[in-house]
This record gives sequence, structure tokens and C-alpha cells, in this order.
Amino acid sequence: MSISTPGGPERRPSVVSTGKKPAAGRPASGAKAGSGKPAGSPRAGGKGPRKPVTPVKVSQGRAWGPIALFVAVGVLVAGIIGYGAWASFQGSKPWDKRANAIDGISNIRKSDPESLKYESHKSGPLTYKYSPPVGGVHNAAWQNCMGDVYDAPIASEHAVHSLEHGAVWITYRPDLPKDQVDKLAGKVRGVEKMLMSPYEGLDKPISLQAWGYQLKVDNADDSRIDEFIKDLRVNASVEGPTALCNTGITATGTTPRELQQQQQPPTQ
Amino acid sequence: MTAPATTDSEYDDDLPAAPDQGGRAPASRYGVLTLAIMLVVGLLLGYAGGLLTPRLTRPGDASVEAGFARDMTTHHAQAVEMSLIAYRSATLPEVRQIAVDIATGQQGEIGAMQTWLREWGLSPTGSKPPMAWMSDGATVKDGLMPGMATPAQMTALRDARGIEIDRQFLTLMYNHHLGGIHMIDAALDETDNAEVVRVAQTMKATQQTELNNLRQLQAQAAKG
Repeated sequence: MSISTPGGPERRPSVVSTGKKPAAGRPASGAKAGSGKPAGSPRAGGKGPRKPVTPVKVSQGRAWGPIALFVAVGVLVAGIIGYGAWASFQGSKPWDKRANAIDGISNIRKSDPESLKYESHKSGPLTYKYSPPVGGVHNAAWQNCMGDVYDAPIASEHAVHSLEHGAVWITYRPDLPKDQVDKLAGKVRGVEKMLMSPYEGLDKPISLQAWGYQLKVDNADDSRIDEFIKDLRVNASVEGPTALCNTGITATGTTPRELQQQQQPPTQ
Repeated sequence: MTAPATTDSEYDDDLPAAPDQGGRAPASRYGVLTLAIMLVVGLLLGYAGGLLTPRLTRPGDASVEAGFARDMTTHHAQAVEMSLIAYRSATLPEVRQIAVDIATGQQGEIGAMQTWLREWGLSPTGSKPPMAWMSDGATVKDGLMPGMATPAQMTALRDARGIEIDRQFLTLMYNHHLGGIHMIDAALDETDNAEVVRVAQTMKATQQTELNNLRQLQAQAAKG
């Protein structure tokens, strides 16, 4: 295409139009000889000094409108994106942020992370810094936490293992009125990753534990109980949402139990 | 566009026309700028839309999908518990076999459902009572969903010995699956979430087959 019709006036406009933008080409026009050269060379320096003068005004007048429009749209877009980001962060605030916002909650993960560390399971009775305990070393066996409502105290050495698996452990002073105990039991029964037991020596009527978190309240109607469960049940699991709550110890008594030999070797 | 070169003399002759052409040159430079801005704005809009759409369309805290994921997790968790008891202690090898199959299968499904909740930015614990998402108003007794065993039944299963474990397990699991399928059907009726539908259909098919197998084993266990 480029070699065809090398000369003639009908071809000129196209040359000019292609050459107009990079018009700063080369004014040294003499170098170009004839029509032998195909591509590249058409942009001969046709620019004169007058070119920039008039057009500038014209283009200024033309461009401000669109620019203003697009700036406005840009601001709008930025607003939409900004709102989206804000809404997303607000809407699904991480569970730990929500838990920390509960009035009166103790965040032991933050205040005393050392107390939660341990190397391996340890059998037999153990001592705990917090009462009831909220984490740290524990027995190999966990307390069954399939919505179990225990009517007598249980071994902390097992319950702490349940906390590690994401359970919320509700404890209450043995003298808590029965209607309040029933109310608490209603939040536990049938719900996996929940367990409940009386606890001797509580400094408040009711205390809730998750791994590294504790909340003490005065009565079962306190709305923070539901908040605590909603934010921390399963979420506080050290071992993810599928850590087991079944196949645990179902007996009560504060003396920890050793894992038993299988009572019934399968007969087949 | 690559027009052949022209002679200088020809080009020089064109010069008078240059201002005319040049008048368009900056305008089209702004044209390019405008196009670029439009592109950027368009991309940003698309990005914002893409960012917001899943957020606005994903299941919310009170949705059927979230209710199903939470309550079926609870329902499954008890099936896993009774299955693991049977796997450890049942007499018939076929019973122990189907028990471990149910336990691992349903525990896996719990993981999938919990992952949905996490991806939807929702807590594993809902704000509404269990089964509130089901429009037919299935009743929850003592926190127990349809087909779930009572604490007394679970204790009895744990305390049972010999072939009695097999029998109790088969009965409990049969009822458990019936209740489970009832819940699955309710979810399938009310959701169009492709992933939820896919998993719920698989659950239903699996549990229906298992119902047949459980019934067959019940006959076997009845003989002792």
C-alpha cells in the first residue's frame, strides 16, 4: 500500500494528516529524496511557528467541560469505593474486635498471653492462674461440649481443653437461683461448642469463658451473655471450627480423669 | 497510514493549510486525555461494582443460607457424635463401617458450611433462635432440631452395651437423617445460592441412600 501511487496531489492530505501530531519531526526536508522510501518518512517537518498559537485557545475552551465532568465522576467513584470499603469493614468486623467491644470483658490473649502458652498435654491435676481458667496447659481428654449441661462441678483440666476446641464454658455459683440456671441452660442445651457447669468460689454469680476471654456478670438476663456467645463460640477455637466437642469426658467431678482403655474391644 | 514520502516541495506547498490542521491537533490531544479519563473512570466504576456486588448479594445474618449453615452444623455435629460412639463400640462390623462413614462425611460438610459463614463475614452463632429461617416453623424442643436425640437418649447410647449399641444407634441415626432431610428440603425450597444448592443436594442424596442402608442393618441387628 505504501508504495502505490507515489506521487500526485490526491495523496497529499493523508500525508499531512498523519504527520500533524508529531509535527515536530524534522524540518530538514532536504534529506528526503523522491518517493523511494516507504514508511517512516512521511512525517516531514511541516510545522511552522504559527501552529501552537491559535489552537491553544480553542482547545482550552473545549476541554474544561469534559474535564470537570470527569473529575466530578471520579470523585463520585472514589466515594462509592470508599463507602464500599467502609461498609465492608464495619459490616463484618472481625470477631475479636466485636468481642473486645463487649463491656467488661477480659481479654487474656492480650493482657497475659504467657498464661495461655503450653508445650504439650499434661495429665493429672493442674493449677491455673485465673478462676475459672481461660486457657493454658490441660489434660489430653476434653470435657464433652455438645451442649452438655452438667449439674455438678467438672474438672478444669478437661474444660480448658474444650475451650481450646472453640467451646464457650458457662460457669455459675452453686447458689444461683434455679430459674437463672434454667435460663442459662436454655442457651446451652442442644448447641455444640457449649457447656455449662456450677463452679465453686466464683467472685460473681456467673462467669463465661472462651479461650483467652472471660466475662463475669451478675445475672442470666444480662444481654452481654448472648454477645459473648455470638462473638466467641467456635470463633475462639485455637484449632478451627471442626475441632471436636464429642468423644469427651461426660462425667462430672473436679478430679481429672485419665483417658480409658476402650471398654469394649469390638467383637467381630 | 504509512503513506509514501512526499517531496519537500509538495509539502511546503501545504503549509498554508497547517493552521487549520493544527487547530485540531491539541483538541485531539485532549480527546486522548478524555478517553484516558473515561477509561480510568470506567475501570474504577467496574472495580467498585465488582467490589460491592458480592457484598450486597451474599447471604446476610438472617438469611436462609446462613440459618441452614448454622443449624445443619449443629444437626450434623450430633450425628458425628453418635456415629463415633457406634464406631468405637458397636458390635456389627457393618454398623461400625457405616458409622465412621457418616461421621467423617458429616464432619467434612460441617467444615464446608463453616467456611461459607466465614466467607460471608458471619458468625457461626446466629442472632435468631435455631430454625427461625425455616418458614414452615419446625419446632425446636429443648434446643433440639428435627430428628435430634435428647440428652437422655445420648446418655442411653453411651451406656448401652453389646448389640444394644447397634440397635440404639441405628434407630437414632434413622430418625436423625429423616429430620435432616426435612431441613435440607426446606433450604432447597428457599435458596438459589448455587453452592448451597449443590451441597444440600449432595447431602440429601447421601442421607437417602444411608437411610436404606440403616434400615437394612436394623433388620440384621434385630436378629442379634
